[in-house]
Amino acid sequence: MPMVLLSCDKDIPEREKHVYLKVDGEDSRDFLPVSNAPTIPGTLSERGCAFCGAKLVIGGVLKDTIQMIHGPIGCAYDTWHTKRYPTDNGHFNMKYVWSTDMKESHIVFGGEKRLEKSIHEAFDEMPDVKRMMVYTTCPTALIGDDIKAVAKKVMAERPDVDIFTVECPGFAGVSQSKGHHVLNIGWINEKVGGIEKEITSEYTMNFIGDFNIQGDTQLIQKYWDKLGIQVIAHFTGNGTYDDLRCMHQAQLNVVNCARSSGYIANELKKQYGIPRLDIDSWGFNYMAEGIRKICAFFGIEERGEALIAEETAKWKPQLDWYKERLKGAKMAIWTGGPRLWHWTKSVEDDLGIQVVAMASKFGHQEDFEKVIARGQAGTYYIDDGNELEFFEIIDLVRPDVIFTGPRVGELVKKLHIPYINGHGYHNGPYMGFEGFVNLARDTYNAVHNPLLKLAATDIRAAKSAVFKEAAE
Amino acid sequence: MSQQQIKQLFDYVQERCLWQFHSRSWDRKENIDGIIAAATDLLHNSHPKTGAPMDKLFYADAKTMVADFRGRFPWINELEPTEITELMTGLKDALVDHTITKSLNHELNHSLY
Repeated sequence: MPMVLLSCDKDIPEREKHVYLKVDGEDSRDFLPVSNAPTIPGTLSERGCAFCGAKLVIGGVLKDTIQMIHGPIGCAYDTWHTKRYPTDNGHFNMKYVWSTDMKESHIVFGGEKRLEKSIHEAFDEMPDVKRMMVYTTCPTALIGDDIKAVAKKVMAERPDVDIFTVECPGFAGVSQSKGHHVLNIGWINEKVGGIEKEITSEYTMNFIGDFNIQGDTQLIQKYWDKLGIQVIAHFTGNGTYDDLRCMHQAQLNVVNCARSSGYIANELKKQYGIPRLDIDSWGFNYMAEGIRKICAFFGIEERGEALIAEETAKWKPQLDWYKERLKGAKMAIWTGGPRLWHWTKSVEDDLGIQVVAMASKFGHQEDFEKVIARGQAGTYYIDDGNELEFFEIIDLVRPDVIFTGPRVGELVKKLHIPYINGHGYHNGPYMGFEGFVNLARDTYNAVHNPLLKLAATDIRAAKSAVFKEAAE
Repeated sequence: MSQQQIKQLFDYVQERCLWQFHSRSWDRKENIDGIIAAATDLLHNSHPKTGAPMDKLFYADAKTMVADFRGRFPWINELEPTEITELMTGLKDALVDHTITKSLNHELNHSLY
């Protein structure tokens, strides 16, 4: 059965290599969707750009760093406030947005002077802030502005500031995944190891690939505090620029999002000999397993068991209440990549939910190996899906709820199928024990909310009229 | 010890363990070798070495896996030491075959991360 050519793809048959239907007895040695490949002409991708992957996903999370976007104003605005990653210092990263606001004349005559002026202006306006990331964008990369040289010049003039440059224009890769890669590798090669922080615990680790979506980092930081483990750096949830320069000091790298941040964990292992431990932070069972592994590494197993017992006693009854009411619900997960394999078994085991379709925007084949190993037979696995494919898959699997982003979410709402924001969450945090109860609550409210069914009824007519899409 | 028993352990590892799917073939091989060796020691009721950072990592992953093996597959507690060795060798071979040798992942052998 394997790879599937959907009816809507009859004119772009290359899409068959990107859509897989798992059947019993098959595994990823037999079929593996093509992924992290250029979007096929003729299909309208849901992907983001490489610049977005660096800035919106990773750099823009930091709570003490100016994010200077060297490009037209839209590149800054459209990667600001579209993700919810609060901080414990008043949400500095979400309050402000910076851009060199490039216009036609700067493109014609070059933008380096404008960038230099903008950097000075930003530091002058915010004298307490001494750290900055500068991003090139499509137009400034095309005209060859040397942002590294400008950053070097400013740092020479202002010895108290430090600037990291990210040369990853939107066109640099096939999706936002390229931006993750460029920022990871740039950071380890240019910034890690420069400074050292005070070590306050016998046990130290970096927590990598968690971006404090609606407070994820802050929630699970409570666990590390209780266990007595010092987190040297959060990459990058609620994180600081200088903490990230100290990543080499950790004894262990704990990785949640292996897609966006596996690169830096690999390099920390290669360059500094720090082991990489991958865990799943979403789900009761998974979170307990992650805590057990971390504690086993440090030899503090008793502390881990005490924490798990405490959290389980507090949250399991609530989780079970939702599980009773969600059993058998059908879910689709259409997000970036890793949440497919993080979530498919956790919602199945912890909530009794059946995942019937999963689509990844920027996952690589490694992600599909993981999700096909964990996912069920009869489930669709899609790389770089487009709108028409989503509609066809909905007809095939009839999900009760879809975890996806607001863009696709607004589309499925028109079909009166509830969606939950799988990127920024509805009412998170979703990580950890408490977080998974939040996820269960949002799922329950979505699946059992009568509003979408009511919205399908047109009360103006004598009898109900079914709303038709424009394409029908 | 039977192929069916190896298959039960293999299915568990496929579903639960992220270490088999690290980025490159040499990472996967290192994890599979280290964790299966540590798990074999634990199943033999001996403590694996934990001196080096990577040994501690293998122990942490193996400890969780062995606890689950003993809970989910009680027959494992009845095996003779030679059968355990044979079982774990079979598991290791299956993992190498699936995640390295016959993997269709085109990024497995890139020289850089």
